[in-house]
Amino acid sequence: MRVLDDPGRAEDVVQEAFLKIWTNAAGFDPKRGSLRTWLITAVRNRSIDYLRGRSAHERQEQELMPELTESHASDPWREVSLALERMAVRQAVGNLPPEQRQTVQLAYFGGYSQREIADMTKVPLSTVKGRMRLALEKLSSYLQGRGLVDV
Amino acid sequence: MSDHEDMEGAVAAWVLGALDLEEGEATRLHVEGCPSCRQTFARLSRAAAALPLEVEEISPPPRLRERVLVAAAAARTSTVPNAPARKRVAPPARPWKPAAFQLGYRTAFAAALAILVALLIGLAAGDLVGRNSVTPVSSQVVRFTLVGHGPLAGAHGTVIDLKSDCVALVDFNKLPTLEKGKVYQVWLITPGGHPDSAAVFVPDSNGSKVVLVSAPLKGYAQIAVTTEDGPDGAQAPTQQPQLYGSVG
Repeated sequence: MRVLDDPGRAEDVVQEAFLKIWTNAAGFDPKRGSLRTWLITAVRNRSIDYLRGRSAHERQEQELMPELTESHASDPWREVSLALERMAVRQAVGNLPPEQRQTVQLAYFGGYSQREIADMTKVPLSTVKGRMRLALEKLSSYLQGRGLVDV
Repeated sequence: MSDHEDMEGAVAAWVLGALDLEEGEATRLHVEGCPSCRQTFARLSRAAAALPLEVEEISPPPRLRERVLVAAAAARTSTVPNAPARKRVAPPARPWKPAAFQLGYRTAFAAALAILVALLIGLAAGDLVGRNSVTPVSSQVVRFTLVGHGPLAGAHGTVIDLKSDCVALVDFNKLPTLEKGKVYQVWLITPGGHPDSAAVFVPDSNGSKVVLVSAPLKGYAQIAVTTEDGPDGAQAPTQQPQLYGSVG
């Protein structure tokens, strides 16, 4: 929904992503990332593909990386843990300077390339690169400081 | 600026999916061979992996779960490997068995020999719908077949019983085209022979349809299909079953 802003299309994309995961279940390697990350990545990639009108082969799939530390304790604790993670991430993103936040959001949720973002925001490409790097470094640092990123 | 600096500067964009194909490939190759950039990539990837958590959660509509299950079952029917044969179970006596049905029933009984079990679905439906598997997957997902007889000879149905989800999916194929105003109706038959209506459907032009049975099959002995008046079908079967099989 965040990417597509269309409930019907979002449902289609989720269905497609689940189907892809279903048919490629054997390819899931927990060492490369959790199921949650796998699902989120698949849904996000499908959403961006749709938004940008491109096919999957035109997108470069990235390796899954370890994500926020996940508790494997009881469900209630996982819920609490996830809520805390969400709060921390929102806080971290909210604390970013507006231009860095905008750059990251245009790339991640909007599917725009760095050049497109440079054109849209009328800043040099090098500035866009710098903003992306700084934003992710700050995000990493913030989350790591709260014990939420397993580095 | 050196190549390394250029590439290092592109890592964040790569992690965010903001590079075109060529740039992405060049960055990937560099990162693979550069320990320093690998560290940067790992660190920034973890940060990027957290971004979806910023999004406000929206509860998906119940129909989405059904859509996913049906689509998965439809996809699975063409890719499932052979499963081991399962020991057959003696059929229970049932009052709803007109003469022709009794004849056909023997065929169904023989077909029970070929009942296939243990559809292992990778992570299993339980995981795909967000729950953890506790019991073995093979006991949660059972697959068996329905065989057509008489007017429906040649038609068949593959049942995927997602026990942990209390739903079953039936993938029908080669069903004859229905007369106007008619529908196919799926019945769940108890060991005592009582039929409970489970679904009404009209197949597509190829005679195919994936039907969701939103009820646990536990406690039922057979699944059967009859042709009934549409659009809602009948309260009780008006004819002998033409497509049926024992619940696995």
